[in-house]
Amino acid sequence: MSVESLFALSRRQFVSRSAVGLGTAALAHLLGEQLQASGGLPGCPQHIPKAKRVIYLTQAGAPSQLELFDHKPQLKEQFDKDLPDSVRQGQRLTGMTAGQARFPICPSMYNFSQQGQAGLWLSELLPHTSRIADRMCVIRSLHTEAINHDPAMTLLQTGHQIAGRPSLGAWLSYGLGSENDDLPAFVVMISRPSGPTNAQPLHERMWGAGFLSPRYQGVRFSPGKDPVLFLSNPPGITNERRRSMLDDVSSLNRLRLEDDPDPEIQARIDQYEMAFRLQRSVPELTDLSQEPKSVFEAYGPESQKPGTFAANCLLARRLVERGVRFVQLYHRGWDQHANLPSGIKSQCYDTDQPSAALVEDLARRGLLDDTLVIWGGEFGRTVYSQGKLTANDYGRDHHPRCYSIWMAGGGIKPGTMYGETDDFSYNIVKDPVHIHDLNATVLHLLGINHKALTYRYQGRDFRLTDIHGSIVEGILA
Amino acid sequence: MRRMAKCVRDRRRAGWPRRVAWWRAWCLPAVVCCSVWLCSSPSVQAAEPPQFNRDIRPILSNHCFPCHGPDSAARKGGFRLDRRDDALANADSGQPVLVPGNPGASPLLQRVRATEAAEVMPPPEIKKPLSAKQIDLLERWIAAGAPYERHWSLISVQRPAVPAVSQPAWVRNEIDAFVLARLEREGLPASPEAGPETLIRRLALDLTGLPPTPAEVEAFVAEILAAQQTDRATTANSRSQTEAVYRRWVDYFLDSPHYGERMAVDWLDAARFADTNGYQVDRDREMWAWRDWVIQAFNSNQSFAQFTIEQIAGDLLPNATPSQKIATGFHRNHMLNEEGGVIPDEFLAEYCADRVETTAALWLGQTFNCARCHDHKYDAFTQRDFYGMYAFYHNVAEGGIGNYGASIRRNAPPFLKLPAPELEAKLAKLRMDLATAQPQLKDLDAKLQAEQPQWEEQLQKTLAAGAPANTPPTAPVPEDILALLKKPAAERNEADRQKLSAYQQSTHPERKALAERIAGLTKQIDETDLQIPTTLVMEELPQPRVTRVLMRGDYTRPGDEVTANTPASLPPLAADLPRNRLGLARWLVDPANPLPARVTVNRFWQSIFGTGLVRTSEDFGTQGEPPSHPELLDWLADEFVRSGWDVKHVLRLMVTSSTYRQSSRARRDLLERDPDNRLLARGPRFRLQAEFLRDQALAASGLLVKTVGGPSVKPYHPPGLYEQVTAGSTTNTYVAGTGDELHRRSMYTYWKRSVPHPAMLVFDAPFRESCSVRRSRTNTPLQALNLLNDPTYVEAARFLAARMLTEVGPTLDTQLTQGYRLVLARAPQPRELAVLRAAYQRALTEFQADANAATELLQVGIRRTGTELNPARWGAMTVVASTILNLDETVMKE
Repeated sequence: MSVESLFALSRRQFVSRSAVGLGTAALAHLLGEQLQASGGLPGCPQHIPKAKRVIYLTQAGAPSQLELFDHKPQLKEQFDKDLPDSVRQGQRLTGMTAGQARFPICPSMYNFSQQGQAGLWLSELLPHTSRIADRMCVIRSLHTEAINHDPAMTLLQTGHQIAGRPSLGAWLSYGLGSENDDLPAFVVMISRPSGPTNAQPLHERMWGAGFLSPRYQGVRFSPGKDPVLFLSNPPGITNERRRSMLDDVSSLNRLRLEDDPDPEIQARIDQYEMAFRLQRSVPELTDLSQEPKSVFEAYGPESQKPGTFAANCLLARRLVERGVRFVQLYHRGWDQHANLPSGIKSQCYDTDQPSAALVEDLARRGLLDDTLVIWGGEFGRTVYSQGKLTANDYGRDHHPRCYSIWMAGGGIKPGTMYGETDDFSYNIVKDPVHIHDLNATVLHLLGINHKALTYRYQGRDFRLTDIHGSIVEGILA
Repeated sequence: MRRMAKCVRDRRRAGWPRRVAWWRAWCLPAVVCCSVWLCSSPSVQAAEPPQFNRDIRPILSNHCFPCHGPDSAARKGGFRLDRRDDALANADSGQPVLVPGNPGASPLLQRVRATEAAEVMPPPEIKKPLSAKQIDLLERWIAAGAPYERHWSLISVQRPAVPAVSQPAWVRNEIDAFVLARLEREGLPASPEAGPETLIRRLALDLTGLPPTPAEVEAFVAEILAAQQTDRATTANSRSQTEAVYRRWVDYFLDSPHYGERMAVDWLDAARFADTNGYQVDRDREMWAWRDWVIQAFNSNQSFAQFTIEQIAGDLLPNATPSQKIATGFHRNHMLNEEGGVIPDEFLAEYCADRVETTAALWLGQTFNCARCHDHKYDAFTQRDFYGMYAFYHNVAEGGIGNYGASIRRNAPPFLKLPAPELEAKLAKLRMDLATAQPQLKDLDAKLQAEQPQWEEQLQKTLAAGAPANTPPTAPVPEDILALLKKPAAERNEADRQKLSAYQQSTHPERKALAERIAGLTKQIDETDLQIPTTLVMEELPQPRVTRVLMRGDYTRPGDEVTANTPASLPPLAADLPRNRLGLARWLVDPANPLPARVTVNRFWQSIFGTGLVRTSEDFGTQGEPPSHPELLDWLADEFVRSGWDVKHVLRLMVTSSTYRQSSRARRDLLERDPDNRLLARGPRFRLQAEFLRDQALAASGLLVKTVGGPSVKPYHPPGLYEQVTAGSTTNTYVAGTGDELHRRSMYTYWKRSVPHPAMLVFDAPFRESCSVRRSRTNTPLQALNLLNDPTYVEAARFLAARMLTEVGPTLDTQLTQGYRLVLARAPQPRELAVLRAAYQRALTEFQADANAATELLQVGIRRTGTELNPARWGAMTVVASTILNLDETVMKE
């Protein structure tokens, strides 16, 4: 776990300090490594980017497209009828419903209406998101292969179901580097549902660097005393005392460097200086006391509680303002196998207002034009009820064949609905978008040809989109 | 032995080439001029014909094999270039692409020379154009007859002759001859020997992962100096006494119980060992017995061959011992998905594939994962080879899912119960009690049955009389029983009789008590049984599962049936070996197999020298890097096998060599010529791995609890990490252990795959989700924060300070020196001492003015010292101790 961006200053300092007399090859050697770490790859971005940074509002557990984005009014008449075999086509089901005697059709309990000038169909569960309809592009035809959470989230994040490949954020850090010397390039923040819902488990690997250097791994920011692990000095050690102590460490390391010109020693000295700067920049970042009341009002009542999705949305804005390349939020608790109507309502309470507020806030500050916002989970949910279906209660199982997400900002065509599913939101009938296509498009917006951002590992040139992916032209502005 | 000899004969019959000295061609003068010298082929004199392995294969592999290589499905144009016979056969065009001796008539050359986008090869869209130099090499190679060679790592190991060198005095063993010969060719001098203090710290860290104690340092230095004096007095060039002392110390560390721990750490990464099942649910598993087996195997210097056989197939050995069964946990270390919706077949396929990939990476240095979905694009392994290997592992009595939903948590079968004498004694007693009670019940029931007519009569009477309080039944008689009682005995059926009998039993006080006792005993037995620790093992099904090639690796698309077999491009599985895991294991350590010995000694080299002779220690295939010292690699591999796969022998050779004992100082000429130290003109200098960094701090401060083995432990851990990531319930809060558990060696730290200990991840440990044989070594600010502020290190600084203040008397300089000795195995130099002294005085002044601050600092960590120390002095010394623990020299092995 490392802070890729933090190498930027290291490199500069290194250049200025290395007049000590290092050989040029040694210098080039060290720079070769650190250049990649700070400034990204040479020639990257490969074309003029539409987006410079990304805020990924990951909804872990799989929000139901049927209740939120994929309007299927005709299902009302089919309440509790059996899902026709012609729709299911023998496709596999999870171990949780494969043995179910019936697959009763279950319409959404929640109503939809058209929003914005574009007339996007959105659910009554999303009153705030409805406000930004004209800024959004809703993709209703995303699909994946994975049918269970871990493989699906791993595929969404890394382009592969099996663990071990770098996450999107790590790829971007590797390719593009950072725009900030004092903060990580890739920050992760996680929130729990406020309702009684079981929180979806996550995995550090989901923001991992896979086979890339661990320095590209996402850095988790947590609420509390230490937003970054081990950030604060121990009790009794003031900042001044820490500064003096670091000066001593530095002096002793320099004495060593006089004897042994190993560039690693200079790098260590620089990393300690950056650690010290992190100790200042992160508390400044996470201190929301200077934010006006209107901001908290916009992000909603939860935004003053550290660690909530709303508070994290506000922090995300502060992070991108400071040039952090990739901010990934995870909100857990969308896995409604049962009691979906109440569960999803509670989830929307957590996420609807802050997500919309974030987009509006970015727009107000002129950041939305080059910041890409993505909102969505790892797969969709079944049109049939898992377990008992009643007039006002039901559950839905995992559904990988179609689901919905939305995107906004940096290069996305606003006020768009893209892709269509059949009458049951079961199969895609128009403009399918695979996870690889989504990732190819995200990279494209950031100025990267997804086929050209590769890393040689075990003899093979790997890329985020494996051997797949096409840019989804229809969602580009 | 006979079996192996036969295997060699078979191999010869099978046309396995015994090439002589493939490395000879490789070791032509190489001009080292930049940091990428190993990646590019050494320059070839114009007159000299190109060598296939050195010059041509890398071009063909990287630029051509993806479409004209081993993968039949991806092959275009109907020809392949990875095998000469095929390359010379007619392609789809009707003619061969290669005409040996005639570059002009070879379509291959015409196409790579073409300028039009539609003509030129490789096609522009794959973005891998050939350079003019590469094209020139291809031309000269075709002109020379287009000779092929087997890929270097697949040629059987030949013991090379030890080269002559011009400074034989530098050569302590064969390693040095190979290294020096290369240095002499490059015109580079070796570095002088490191000082004795540096050497003993290097040895201790390399062989035990712990720093030497000041007493050990003192003894070693004194013995070495005395021996050097004796040697000098004997003859001018003698060093026999010094050597004897050094070797004795090497053996001292090799004999340490901590040697096995140090060696196990690398193996645990490779074996993807963890304390949880991984994937989404990531619940605990019990696997520490296997980890302890590994430590024990290294400590007892079990031969690597046996180490291999027991882990792959210990359960299939005749009269397998419990220890041999525990060893098979190696291939149960993979992740296990317990997510609710798991489809068992999907994950059964995942586990088997993981075993194949792990085996291939660890013993063969091959990237078999490529061949799971299609034939390998670069190396000569087919998808059929993959599933042939898969079939060895597809026969375990396991389910595709774990114990999800089971009311009782326990390892997923198959597992082995570990010896637990106390629990077993308790169980034996419980079972005996049960065995006593059960016949009593039987007898009583017989008695009750015999008495049934009288009981019934009595009951009828009682009912008629209106149920007096002192006779049973005390509860009202149920309606259905009343009905039965009214029924004449002759009319009752079997069910009626049983019902009545059951009622009679249930109302009999003695019978009731006995039944309750039996139920209680049964429950206790179950509970006690669950307390017996278990460990995951391999176990064969009586009937092998059918294995089919999975098209594109997809479990829903089974193809042709395959039987267990080893890859066709490697020596065959001997006919007398069983086609099961035991056969596979024996094949892996057959000396005829060209890979395992090379791959294994290379990993040992990597542990000691920081970089393998083959840098890509996970990939000995055509896309991997060739060895920096091919002859040395083969010599070591051969020596390893000849010694009976003696791990300590090979390590001893490495650490007693002059190569190893050089100073690690980065000479300016070397930073220019060889910044990665691939030529080995200086000693290794690299950052300690995550585990040994913390171990070093605990050891130096005296906090380390040196117990070897046992269940994993939970040391300090930053709050909140688990709650953010793990599933909803509060049980997922990390609860730190108490007492000794806080200060065990880091390799015993509980390893949760979804949230590994953050200090491990910060220092580049892998997630342990799949086989990993090489860790990164980053240098980052988060590492600095960890060493500065983690309570683990603050507490260690506090204890280190206490040792400095109390162990060496009242003089400040002596105390500061002791800090250096405890951590760095040396005394500080005057200028360093001056910095330390000033640091101490400054901190002392501050803490004297701010006594609270010192007290607060001294509260960090749970352990208390036995002695009362002045808080200001102790606090100030803690700041100095923390300074020492954060030095570059401290985190590096020099």
